[in-house]
Amino acid sequence: MATFLLEVGTEELPAQFVASALQQWRSRIPADLKAHFLEADQIEVFGTPRRLAVLIQGLPDQQPQREEEIKGPPAQAAFKNGQPTPAALGFARKQGVEVSDFELRPTDKGEFVFVRKVTEGRATPEVLSELIPQWIFGLEGKRFMRWAEGDLRFSRPVRWLVSLWNEAVLPLQLENAGTLVKSDRLSWGHRVLHPDPVSIPTAAAYAETLGSAYVQVDPDQRQATILKQVKSAAQSVRGQAEIPGDLLSEVVFLVEWPTAVVGSFAAEFLELPPEVVTTEMVSHQRYFPVRPVGQSSVQDHGLLPYFITISNGDPGKSDVIAAGNERVIRARLSDGQFFFKADQAIALADYLPKLETVTFQADLGSVRAKADRIQQNAQMITQQLTQPLSLDAKTIASIDRAALLCKADLVTQMVGEFPELQGIMGEKYAIASGEPEAVATAIAEHYHPRTAEDSLPQSLPGQVVAISDRLDTLVCIFGLGMLPTGSSDPFALRRAANAVLNIIWSAQLPLNLKQLLQSATARFTQTFHTLTPQRVASKPGASQTGSSPQDTLQIQLQDFFLQRIRTLLQEEHHIDYDLVSAVLGETDPDYTQRALEDLLDLLTRAQFLQQLRADGTLGTLYETINRATRLAKQGSLDTHTLDPAAAIDPAHLQQASEKALYHEIVALLPQTQRASQARDYALLVQELVAIAPRVSDFFDGADSVLVMAEDPNLRQNRLNLLGLLRNHARVLADFGEVVKS
Amino acid sequence: MHFQNVIAKLNQFWGDRGCVIVQPYDTEKGAGTKSPHTFLRAIGPEPWSVAYVEPCRRPADGRYGENPNRVQHYYQYQVLIKPSPDDIQDVYLDSLRALGIQPEDHDVRFVEDNWEDAAVGAWGVGWEVWLDGMEVTQFTYFQQCGGLDCRPVSIEITYGLERLTMYLQNVDSIFDIRWNDHLTYGDVHLQGEIESSTFNFEASNPETLFALFQLYEQEAESLIGRSLVLPAYEHVLKCSHTFNLLDARGVISVTERTRYIARIRNLARQVAQLYLQQREKLGFPLLKAAQVQDCATV
Repeated sequence: MATFLLEVGTEELPAQFVASALQQWRSRIPADLKAHFLEADQIEVFGTPRRLAVLIQGLPDQQPQREEEIKGPPAQAAFKNGQPTPAALGFARKQGVEVSDFELRPTDKGEFVFVRKVTEGRATPEVLSELIPQWIFGLEGKRFMRWAEGDLRFSRPVRWLVSLWNEAVLPLQLENAGTLVKSDRLSWGHRVLHPDPVSIPTAAAYAETLGSAYVQVDPDQRQATILKQVKSAAQSVRGQAEIPGDLLSEVVFLVEWPTAVVGSFAAEFLELPPEVVTTEMVSHQRYFPVRPVGQSSVQDHGLLPYFITISNGDPGKSDVIAAGNERVIRARLSDGQFFFKADQAIALADYLPKLETVTFQADLGSVRAKADRIQQNAQMITQQLTQPLSLDAKTIASIDRAALLCKADLVTQMVGEFPELQGIMGEKYAIASGEPEAVATAIAEHYHPRTAEDSLPQSLPGQVVAISDRLDTLVCIFGLGMLPTGSSDPFALRRAANAVLNIIWSAQLPLNLKQLLQSATARFTQTFHTLTPQRVASKPGASQTGSSPQDTLQIQLQDFFLQRIRTLLQEEHHIDYDLVSAVLGETDPDYTQRALEDLLDLLTRAQFLQQLRADGTLGTLYETINRATRLAKQGSLDTHTLDPAAAIDPAHLQQASEKALYHEIVALLPQTQRASQARDYALLVQELVAIAPRVSDFFDGADSVLVMAEDPNLRQNRLNLLGLLRNHARVLADFGEVVKS
Repeated sequence: MHFQNVIAKLNQFWGDRGCVIVQPYDTEKGAGTKSPHTFLRAIGPEPWSVAYVEPCRRPADGRYGENPNRVQHYYQYQVLIKPSPDDIQDVYLDSLRALGIQPEDHDVRFVEDNWEDAAVGAWGVGWEVWLDGMEVTQFTYFQQCGGLDCRPVSIEITYGLERLTMYLQNVDSIFDIRWNDHLTYGDVHLQGEIESSTFNFEASNPETLFALFQLYEQEAESLIGRSLVLPAYEHVLKCSHTFNLLDARGVISVTERTRYIARIRNLARQVAQLYLQQREKLGFPLLKAAQVQDCATV
């Protein structure tokens, strides 16, 4: 058993690449070893900004001897009259065996030639030296580079290689044009704390040897060190550290020998919005902010005038390092102060004209034009909501104003410097400009949710503007024909549509999405008629389908939303696949249109069905309603008629069971109408459950009915009875899509 | 250390390491990279080592001299070495030592930062160098220039002279930098900074600038047509600076903006190709010189 070490020494790698490379090695290396009949006791990967390493313990000296069986040609083709054919001879030659080594064995497909081959295991170091170049250059990452005169490509230049098989150097070399990097036992320690090479005596001594050269190679250990130091550094100034996960994992790969250093800044800077101060610290300087003990979030409360930086320098020089960092944050915060003051020299609304210099999308013009479209979208949403939510004039005005101003902060100096503060600065500047608080809040909220995990806008104006902004992006980008495909969704249109749906559902907004899309697509095709590719296709003579550009756009958007609805219902609301189909209809326009017109009702029906499945009711209904639905297909009754008077001729009702069912449906009608109007699906289901026994009698009772009777009048009546039943159930869902549970 | 001494030290340091020390190029530009000593010389197979101070103009960054960290005219110290040497990071750390900054006394970090200038079809990967949290230098391995692959790859090192000097002198405003024994950076540049900011944002005449852009562009095209590489490139720089002035003035609409950048890039690409052809026609003279030198040392 042996221990093997590979260290790839580089110039400083991007933090993200180191993390991703180690992840790739964690899965690739064991798989490669296994594919080469090698197994190790333990595989550990290490990484710092200047090195990627893997330590493999408990490797066998060589691969095991292997016996392989290789299938050859069919016996019939291998031998003619007892003599080997050219095919047999060719096979023997290829496998390096004699025809006399052939075994003939029956298989499912007749008798075949087999040979057994014994392969000796190769020495493990030999196998490793073939695998290693693929481990290094098989790594994937963004923005690889070439250096000097060669064609090698990697994240940053490779400068040395350590490759040890126990205590012996396993020779490897990388060639980059004229330059050779040869493996050795010499590694490099910390760039300034240990500028000389370090000799690694044996593979197993790797981490310990590098530790003595001021390099902590194990990222998990570095992370633990950093966490511990950050916490105690915060305590030293009677605060607690804010430790964003992204920042911590990045910092781990920015240093080889971490030391937490505390610095301070003038308390006057705390008059800046806390988001500005933390953005400067976290995004730009990779500092950990410090807040008073006992507070849970920096945004809600205050900060202390301290920061913690993870230095890669000499722990003994922390004072100098702190002083240097203090000057940097002071300059940055002064900048912030300057921007904050300068930005407020004019009112937020006065930034609108400057939005004309910011591109939204090359063909779609400026963000200023987008703001107008957001405002128009918001107005039509407001129109839909005014009556059902009894909106007052003040709320309506706030929505309108917020829609117009929501992008104005993009041209302020602060957002120019810190784009991640978009919306947040808009809120602050709106307040400073004397805008109503509801407007300010909506400006900040309209960017939510910024990620799949982010919170949704809480205020109604925030919700309306958030939807309006995303609808505009969806309509415009679809209008340009730039539909998302596969993994390519550069405008994050899926996320935008998901946000629209989630906001509507979570805030219970009674919106008709279909109508919103119609108005928006109509405006788009009018405004951008020279752009729409569909427009070209629909010019006289070019048109094949006869559909207008607006119709095409409308259908594309509807289909896209329907896909998102399906996905969200399944993945986020945990509705079973078949039940989603039952409420949404696979291709049934009745249901898809109804869904787009009334998303709240759709979710209610889906969740109700799921509940019926859980409590067993669906099983009861399935037997009767599903069977009726299937059979009714043979009839000609449309899917809307509910009134028996319009479908049944009582004169042709013969048997008691069909008469009973008829009377039940007559009695059901007012109940279904009530349920449909009040969306009281529990009432409908209660009634359907109640008549289930009559349906069973109709199908299978002592007086059961032959639905497909010879007499067309009888048959029509009976099919229509089932059709009516189906239609009543359709008020809730298409039971034909329900799968027996 | 005075501002002028920082420059002198860097000249001494890089001169000693084989760089030709050239002087600022007399056409307005936004960055040292746009000097032909870098932009053109990074193209093609010929070795090249150069260092120089470059005044940079970024009209939109003007703050009327009121912001201690931001100005529309400042200096970069630029080094370009082709092919990139294997020990370039160590050499760079030595240059800090030459300035009196001992890396072992500080937290010096090479933090990922990639560079791209779409207007001249150039990009590279590298780092910004942090000295106790302050970005003092930009390090870039050039991958493409004027849309052409860089072979071999050059390394570009750009020092922010004001930042570095502010650090060395422990001052918090650019204008407080001591240039020599009796003058500050403010004495030399503050009034100009105020006036230029006024020009960039208020006094420039957009119609004149639009007309100039057109004239410079026509001139560049005609010079490209006559294969006059350097004069053509100078006019591309003039286009680029005029565009920056228009941009600062806020008179370029969105659609125009994209078009202007595309027009500049198109010219820059043509000049880059023309330069490569010209050097090839000349038989890549610096390549021969380098080979002769190699033989001599053997």
